[in-house]
Amino acid sequence: MHQDSHSSETKPASPDVGFVFNLAPLALLVLSPAWRITRASARFLADWRVPTDDCIGQELLPFVEAQLRPPRPTHLALLTSSIDDAIAARAERTSKPINTRLGVSWKARVIPVFNNDELLSIVLEWHEGPASPYEDELVKPGFSTDEAFRILVQAVKDYAIFLLDTKGHIATWNTGAELLKGYKRDDVVGKHFSIFYGKEDLDIKKPEMELEICMREGRVEDEGWRYRKDGSRFWANVVITAVYKDGVHVGFGKVTRDLTERKSAESRLIAAYEESEKLKSDFLANMSHEIRTPMHGMLSACTLLLDTPLSARQRDIVSIMDESGQVLLQVINDILDYSKLTSGGFSINSDIVGITSIVTSVVRSVQATLPPSVHFELFLATDLPRSVQGDPLRYRQILQNIVGNAAKFTDKGSIRVRASVEREDDATYTVLTEVTDTGIGVPEESAASLFTPFMQFDTTTTKRYKGTGLGLSIAKSLTELMGGRIGYRPNPDRHGSVFWFTARFKKIKSLEQMQDWKKTISSRDRREAPIPDVDIDGLQAELKMVSSTKNLLVVEDNLINQKVMLGMLRAIGFKNVGLASNGLEAVRMVRGKPAAYDMLLMDINMPIMDGNAATRDIRAAGILVPIVAMTAYALKGDRERCLEHGMNDYIAKPVDKKRLIKVLGKWLLRMTDYRKNYEEQLTELRRQRQAMGQVTTPGIEARQFLFESPLSDTSAASAASAASAKEIGTVPAASEGPSLSEDFRLSTRPIKAAATEASNQAEGVGGQVKEPHDGIKPTETDRNIMSHQQDDALREAKKAYHDAQSAEMQHFQLSQMPIRTLQPGQVKPSPSVECVEAHQSPLAGDDQQPTSSQLSAAADGGVASADPKG
Amino acid sequence: MPGLDDRDGQDIDDMPDFGDHVEDAIFSQILEMDDSPDDREFSAPLVLNFFEQASETFDKMQTALDDSNLDDLSSLGHFLKGSSATLGFNKIRDSCQVIQQYGHKLTVDGAPEPDEKVCLKKIGEALKTVKVDTAELEKEMKKFFNQPE
Repeated sequence: MHQDSHSSETKPASPDVGFVFNLAPLALLVLSPAWRITRASARFLADWRVPTDDCIGQELLPFVEAQLRPPRPTHLALLTSSIDDAIAARAERTSKPINTRLGVSWKARVIPVFNNDELLSIVLEWHEGPASPYEDELVKPGFSTDEAFRILVQAVKDYAIFLLDTKGHIATWNTGAELLKGYKRDDVVGKHFSIFYGKEDLDIKKPEMELEICMREGRVEDEGWRYRKDGSRFWANVVITAVYKDGVHVGFGKVTRDLTERKSAESRLIAAYEESEKLKSDFLANMSHEIRTPMHGMLSACTLLLDTPLSARQRDIVSIMDESGQVLLQVINDILDYSKLTSGGFSINSDIVGITSIVTSVVRSVQATLPPSVHFELFLATDLPRSVQGDPLRYRQILQNIVGNAAKFTDKGSIRVRASVEREDDATYTVLTEVTDTGIGVPEESAASLFTPFMQFDTTTTKRYKGTGLGLSIAKSLTELMGGRIGYRPNPDRHGSVFWFTARFKKIKSLEQMQDWKKTISSRDRREAPIPDVDIDGLQAELKMVSSTKNLLVVEDNLINQKVMLGMLRAIGFKNVGLASNGLEAVRMVRGKPAAYDMLLMDINMPIMDGNAATRDIRAAGILVPIVAMTAYALKGDRERCLEHGMNDYIAKPVDKKRLIKVLGKWLLRMTDYRKNYEEQLTELRRQRQAMGQVTTPGIEARQFLFESPLSDTSAASAASAASAKEIGTVPAASEGPSLSEDFRLSTRPIKAAATEASNQAEGVGGQVKEPHDGIKPTETDRNIMSHQQDDALREAKKAYHDAQSAEMQHFQLSQMPIRTLQPGQVKPSPSVECVEAHQSPLAGDDQQPTSSQLSAAADGGVASADPKG
Repeated sequence: MPGLDDRDGQDIDDMPDFGDHVEDAIFSQILEMDDSPDDREFSAPLVLNFFEQASETFDKMQTALDDSNLDDLSSLGHFLKGSSATLGFNKIRDSCQVIQQYGHKLTVDGAPEPDEKVCLKKIGEALKTVKVDTAELEKEMKKFFNQPE
C-alpha cells in the first residue's frame, strides 16, 4: 500500500528529483520551514513502519513523539535542539539517537536548506544508531551494554574481551582482541573460539571442556598457549564467564590476557631461586667445613679425657659429650655431603674396589657398636669379582649408611649382609648388596618417602633415633652416581627391613691395568687421605690441642735436621718429642716402650742402622705405631719402597711445614691408629662397665689385640671349634678379674654368638660351610697401604679354601675382629696371642690357642702377630 | 693464626736476597721458628752449626778424597746434602748431590760411571766448588744474623 501512495506521487515518467528522492536508499524526511513533514522517502516509511498518511502533512514533533518507545520528552528535545542548531548555523547537524518502537535508535542528520537567508526546507536523514539500554531491557534480548561500557570494552587494548554465543561462536570483538590475536573484527565474528587453540588443546577438546566447566561452575580460568592469526603463540590467561539474561543462558564472556611477559619474569624468578639454592648449598658446605675442624679438636679432646682416670659420674658426662659430638659431626658430614650432591660437586673416583674387603670391613666396624643380642651374617657370592674398578669410598659410604641404619634400628636378632653379582656384561659388573635386619622395620606409609631428604619416620618428640634424615637420600644420590639403584622392602621372613642397592663397576681389563693400579693406588689413597681439603691453620690448631698428649719420636742422624725437625714440631705445639740418631737407637727406644709413641718420623739413610731396617725391626716386634719416612730427593718408587718396609707414610725432605702438619694431622687426628681402634671397640665395654660402677682405664696390655673366633677347614671341625669357643665364651665371663675383664668381654662376647651360629650350621645347614673370614684385615687406615699385599694373602687363603670346598655361597660368621695391621715380615702366623694367652691361661686358654693358630694358618697373613719376640 | 702470618711476612721482608744460594721458601720456614725476628735464637745457632758441620764434613771429604774412598765420600755427600737441603742451601746441596752420586760411581743423572778416576776428579771439583759456595754463603749469613735489629 505504501507503494501505491509513492507511485501516485512519483508518477511522472521523466525521472525527476522527486522520483530520485523517493527511491534513494536513505530514510529521508523533508520538512517545511514550519517543521511539517512534506515528503518521506520509501525507505523511511519502510524503516519506521509508518503509513504515508500518518506521516505526510504531520507536524514533525508530534509525529516523532508518537514513535518514541518509551516516550522520552528529553529525546524529543534533543532532536529539536539539533534542528534548531542546524538552522542557526546554516549547517548540517547530527542529533542524538532516539528510540523508536522497533527497538532501534535513530540519529537524524539535519540538513537545513536555505535560499539566501530564507529557510526553504529541512531535510532529515535518519541513520540507525546504537541501541540504548533503556530500550534493550524492554525489547532486546542478548548482548548489549551501556554505551559507556561498550566504549570502555571496545577501547581496552591490553585485554581481549569478547562475547561468545551459547555455542562458542564469537559475537563481539574489541581492540585488545584485535591487537592480541591479530584478527580483525570482520575476520572473526561468527567463528568458533577454538580457532585460538593449538592442536594439542584441540585434541583433548579443551575449548569444549572449558565451556562445559564454565556452564557447570559459572566460570573457568585457564593458562596456556593461544595462537594468533599469523600462527605465532603467546602464553595466555583466559577467563570465561557464563552470561545469563533473566536466568536464561545467553552466551559467554571471555577475557584473555597476554602473560608472556609474566611468564618470562617467572622463569627469571625461578632461575634466581635456583641460584640462591646453590648459594645456600655452597654456604652450607663451607660452614660445615668450618664447623668440622673445631669439632674434630673437641672430639679428640673428649677421647683423651675419657682415657684419664675419671669418676663414674665424670665419665658419664664426658661420654655424653663424646656421643653428642659424634652425632653432631655426623650431622655436619651428612649436610656437607648432601650439599655437595645437590650442587653436583660430587664426583666419583675411579680406583680399585675390593668389594669383599669393603663389605667385611664395614660389617666389622658396625659390629663393634652392636649389643650382644644382635649378630651379623655375611654372605658373599662366590662369583663376586675380587677387584673391580669404581669408587671404593663411595661404595663404602653407601654400605656404611645402610648397615649403620640396620644396626641403629635393630635391638635383637640378626643383620644379614649379602653381596652378589646381579648382572654382568663384557665391561661391567652390577653388584647387588642387600642388608636384611630384624629391627623395627619401616611403617608402610613411610616407605615411599624413605629416600627423601630430611625425612625421618621417627618424628615422635622423644626421638629415640638420632640423625639428620639425610643418610638414605645421600645413599640414593651416590648409588645413582654409581649407575645403580637403591630400594627398600619389608623383611619377608619376619619383622624388619631389607635395604638393597646396586652399583655398577667396570671390569679390570688386563693384568697390566691391574699393575698400573697397584702402582698408583697407594699414592692415590694418600692424596685423598681424609684430611678435608687443605685447611692447614685449622689442622694446626687441632694438632696444638692434642699435642701435649702426643709422644713423637724423630729418628735422624744429622744434627741440623734434628734441630729443624724439633723446631718445627715445637712450633706446631709438640713438646714431647724423643730423638734417636740412628735406626738401632730408635728400635731400642720403641721396643723398650712399645705403646709410648704416637708416631715416628724416620730418616732413611742413617749410619749403623737405616730407617728401613729399623722399621722392619719395629714391625717385627708387633708394634704398629705409625711410621712416616723422611727422605731427601723423593724419587719415584721411593715411597713404595718405604711402604714395603712397613712404613705408613712418607714425607719428602726438606720437610715442608705444611706437609708435615698434614701428615701429623692425618696420623694423629684423622686415622684411627693402633690404639684408637681399640678404644672405639672399648666404647661399648665402657658403658657396660659404668653400669657396674667400675672405672675403666685401659692399660698397655689392653692395647694388645684380640683374635677372632676359631675357624676351620671343615664343617665338622667348625662345630668342634665352635664348641670350644662356647666354653671360652662362657667360662671367663663369670670369673674374670677386673683387670682382665675388658679384654675378655671384648673377645668372648662375639665368640659366643659365633659359637651358636657355628653349631647351628653344623647341625642344621650341613651344606653350608664356613669360610675363614678373609678380613682380619687392617683398618681402613691400613687398608690403603696394605691392600694389595693383603689381597695377595687373602687370595691365597681363599684359594686354599676353595680348593677344599665348593659352595654356592660362603657364609661367614663374623665375630669381633681384631684390628691388626699386616706388616711384611709378619706374615708368618703366630702360634699364640699374647694378651689372650696371658689372660686366659688360668681359665680356659688351651682351647683357644689351637684355634687362633688355625685361624692364622688357614686364613691369612693379614693377622699381624703380637709375638713379643717378633 | 694471624700472628704467625704476620711474622711470615716480616721474615720474608727482612730476608736479604741470597740469590741462588738459598731457597727462600725453605729458609724462611727456619726463620719462622724464631720467637721473633729480633731474636734469632733458634735460627742463628742452627745456621752457624751448619757451617761448622760443613767445615768438618769438608775436612772428612778431603781425607776420603785423598784416600780415594768413594764410599765415604758418598755417605758424607749424602749427610751434608740432608742438612743443606733442610736449610734450603741449594747450591751446597747440589754439590753434595754430585759428591754422593760419584761416590756411588754414578753420574748426576744416575748413569753408571765405572771409572773411579773420573769419579774422584768430579768429586774433587765439586768439593772445591762447594767450599767456595759455602764460604760465600757463610759470609752473607753471618752478616744477616749479626745485623742489628
